[in-house]
Amino acid sequence: MTAAVETPAWLLTPELGLCPCGCIGKRRRGSFVAKTIAGAGSVLQSALFSEDVAKAPGLLQRLDARAKLVALIGLLIAVALVRHVPVLLAAYAGALLLALASRLPLGFFIKRVWLFIPIFTGVIVLPATLNVVTDGDVVVPLPFGLGLTRQGLVAAALIVSRVAASISLVVLVTLTTPWTQLLAGLRSLGVPKLFVLVIGMAYRYLFVLLAAVQDMYIARRSRSIAPERDSRSGRAFVGATAGALFGKAHALSEEVHQAMTSRGYRGDARTLDVARFRPADAATFAVAALAAALLIGGDRALG
Amino acid sequence: MHIPDGYLSPATCGVLAAAMVPVWSTAATRAKRVVKSRYAPPTAVFSSYCFTVKMFNGPRPVGSSAHAVGGVLIACLLGPWAAVISLSVALAIQALFFGDGGVLAFGANAFNMAFVMPFVGYAVYRAVTRHTSLTARRRALAAGLGGYVGLNTAALVAAIEFGLQPELFHTSDGTPLYAPFHLSQTIPAMALAHLTVAGFVEFALTAGVVAYLQRANLPLLRINHAHVPEAGSAIPHRPLGWRWAFYGLGAMLALTPLGLLAPGGAFGEDAPQNLDLARYHLAAVPQGLHDYTGWWSHTVLDGYGFSGGSHERAGYLLSALVGCLAVATAIALVIALARVVSRADGDDAEQPVLAP
Amino acid sequence: MRSDDRTVLACRELSYSYLGRFAALDGVSFDVVRGETLGLLGANGCGKSTLLKVLDGLVFPDAGSFSAFGQPVTEDALEDEQFSTAFRSRVGFIFQNADAQVFSPTVREEIAFAPLQLAIGRDEIEQRIADVLALLEITELADRAPYQLSGGQKKRVAIASVLVMNPEVLLFDEPTAALDPRTQQWLLELIVELRRAGKTIVLATHDLDVLEWVCDRCLVFSEAHRIVLDGTPESVLEDRDALLAANLIHPHAHRHGELTHAHPHRADHSMIDHSGALLPTGDSLAQAVAVAGPERPA
Repeated sequence: MTAAVETPAWLLTPELGLCPCGCIGKRRRGSFVAKTIAGAGSVLQSALFSEDVAKAPGLLQRLDARAKLVALIGLLIAVALVRHVPVLLAAYAGALLLALASRLPLGFFIKRVWLFIPIFTGVIVLPATLNVVTDGDVVVPLPFGLGLTRQGLVAAALIVSRVAASISLVVLVTLTTPWTQLLAGLRSLGVPKLFVLVIGMAYRYLFVLLAAVQDMYIARRSRSIAPERDSRSGRAFVGATAGALFGKAHALSEEVHQAMTSRGYRGDARTLDVARFRPADAATFAVAALAAALLIGGDRALG
Repeated sequence: MHIPDGYLSPATCGVLAAAMVPVWSTAATRAKRVVKSRYAPPTAVFSSYCFTVKMFNGPRPVGSSAHAVGGVLIACLLGPWAAVISLSVALAIQALFFGDGGVLAFGANAFNMAFVMPFVGYAVYRAVTRHTSLTARRRALAAGLGGYVGLNTAALVAAIEFGLQPELFHTSDGTPLYAPFHLSQTIPAMALAHLTVAGFVEFALTAGVVAYLQRANLPLLRINHAHVPEAGSAIPHRPLGWRWAFYGLGAMLALTPLGLLAPGGAFGEDAPQNLDLARYHLAAVPQGLHDYTGWWSHTVLDGYGFSGGSHERAGYLLSALVGCLAVATAIALVIALARVVSRADGDDAEQPVLAP
Repeated sequence: MRSDDRTVLACRELSYSYLGRFAALDGVSFDVVRGETLGLLGANGCGKSTLLKVLDGLVFPDAGSFSAFGQPVTEDALEDEQFSTAFRSRVGFIFQNADAQVFSPTVREEIAFAPLQLAIGRDEIEQRIADVLALLEITELADRAPYQLSGGQKKRVAIASVLVMNPEVLLFDEPTAALDPRTQQWLLELIVELRRAGKTIVLATHDLDVLEWVCDRCLVFSEAHRIVLDGTPESVLEDRDALLAANLIHPHAHRHGELTHAHPHRADHSMIDHSGALLPTGDSLAQAVAVAGPERPA
């Protein structure tokens, strides 16, 4: 029973072309069955991947989850208040440095952030550069009375860099913190114990239910010959699967309740003590506060 | 519809999170009151169910990437307050543990998908299933319709949140700081996407699950319908009527002016830091309309360079009207379709199979 | 049937039905005496699991009475915190579905759950956790999440989470179901060891092979949810007609000397039990397979 630190990636990839987070890849217009199986697999894979990364020896991995959570929220607010693209890019560069110091696979980290969300965001905000959306000084005139405005271009750059910086910060914390520590962090930040218990159990049973979905869809795939697209029977199948899953979830919740009652649970969540506050955590706060102050200060200095 | 961080101003996120606090505490109290020790396991397992439902891909038009949210489904099966908690937990897991973003925007996402969606959808469902037996075909269609209306209302609210950003948060030269589109653009865009594709995906999932449970596992439907008679004999079956369609429309219409009221008075200045949350909260009630008018002339006088202030408001109302008309058309189509279906299938008298 | 001071659990004319319609127990009476290992035998759906849940105070009979340690166990009685704490810590239940029983974020928190609820001191909890982890050879799994565990590992965690309370009575529901042969063997040896340590054990099974090795006494349930046989494993296994009637053996089953040889024929004996994970558990590949694949609710 050795620790499965490095789970071979191929083993957990049910379909081609999915990145570890499951967010990008070849958009095969395959059957909805294959897509669902792949989707469920990718959630599992992403969870295993972040557990692997969280075990690596790195800067952020050494820090306390509570300190990281507080720092994350503070920095997210700072990033949200910044109004200049260079400052946002500096925040992003800082996130990249932290990723390096925490031994995250940098290629993955950049792809995770840029290949999905900002490009998706970029496509959405592209029309916003036109004068019909954002009125202002036209810098690039286009036919039909259209034109790109300075304000529009700045706005597009702002939102893309802001989203990139925000996502990077969240991904940094998610990847470098084992989720059990994140839970403990939530608890010590004042989230009621009952909610933390519920979040923890929800995360735990997510994998049970996803495995059940995969089973049902795999059974479906093994029974179908041609790839399925839009069909009445397909829709009925989705309804029946989701319904059967609801039945499973209900039975499971009854049994979990009995298992808890059997071991003395009476409605009050009690947990082991959480780790004490260390000087390193105070240092984390200080650094995060300084970074946030620098971001906002730099932003205001630019006007 | 999941809003990542960076699209909404911190003030918007803060206000929506503050609005969710009483909702969450009410939901927690109500759910706990039932049976204290029974609270955690079902809440947790159904939260994972909510998350899992998002993984379900169904057959759908080529190229679209819509998946169901499942908010109304949970509301129909467990009640809207349980849905608030389950969906919020699912969103929290998505944001924090899978790094999908939306940490700062958690309050906004929860407001749209864990509050507006289940409650609006459930209201539609309840209105349509009045005097209906547990196994009636109309119940499944009502759930689907609830899903459709709930999702579209949530999308409308999200569109309003997006669309308010450039009006409220921009620099002195008119550069939007957050999401750049105006209400007159966000509302039609979101309405188009959700009325045509996503809404029907939600409809199919919600109706499909309820129909399946009616057929295969009636005791599960009883969780939230303790006193609804099982067979149709006790209650006269009435044909699908127009009356209930107005409930859904009414809910949408009732929400429409919120888009105009919501900005309140405290947003007069372009700097979001000046925002007084407490005051905003007060201004969200009708008095805000008064402030709003003042704010409007203020912006125009300041020459912020909008191509026409009043045009925006007219555009908003116009798009809302278009949205309502589109919903009405869609509902009419659904009714027509349902009538054809129920006529073709005759009276749905399938014997329910009880699972122990 | 007369209860004396050696009686730990006493059932009198228990009847229970699900949703008021589906009978699970019909007039069941028996005693469990201190230190004995009692096997409950019956085909699927005969009411064994329901009976175990009654014995653990999780469901309550429609008719009849159940008492433990000389005290009646009712829904009202368990509302009393003192009684509930005493009863819960003296009776432990290992569910068939380890997924339902392992609900905490990590193995350590799972094992700490019961002692925390039962208000045992923090230092003692830490000590007990360390001991029980070592006993079940899962010390290195302490900080793992349940979804990273194989079926056999989850079973060990479930047992650890119950043993940590040091209960007097242990209830096992189909302990060897869906486990690989090696883990099955290990678990049966553990039960024998617990029996030697003086624990009172009630074990629901439809595996006739283990009876003579593990049990002192057996009850056979009919598909009409009643007790049809009560005796030593030897006497029960001799009564072919009763076992046939209870749907526990197939007409083709027969004995070779001391062994019942019935693998291909016996009713209700899932083939999965025999063809389960055969990969070595030390291999990380096998673990990955276990993690990716078979985590499914029963």
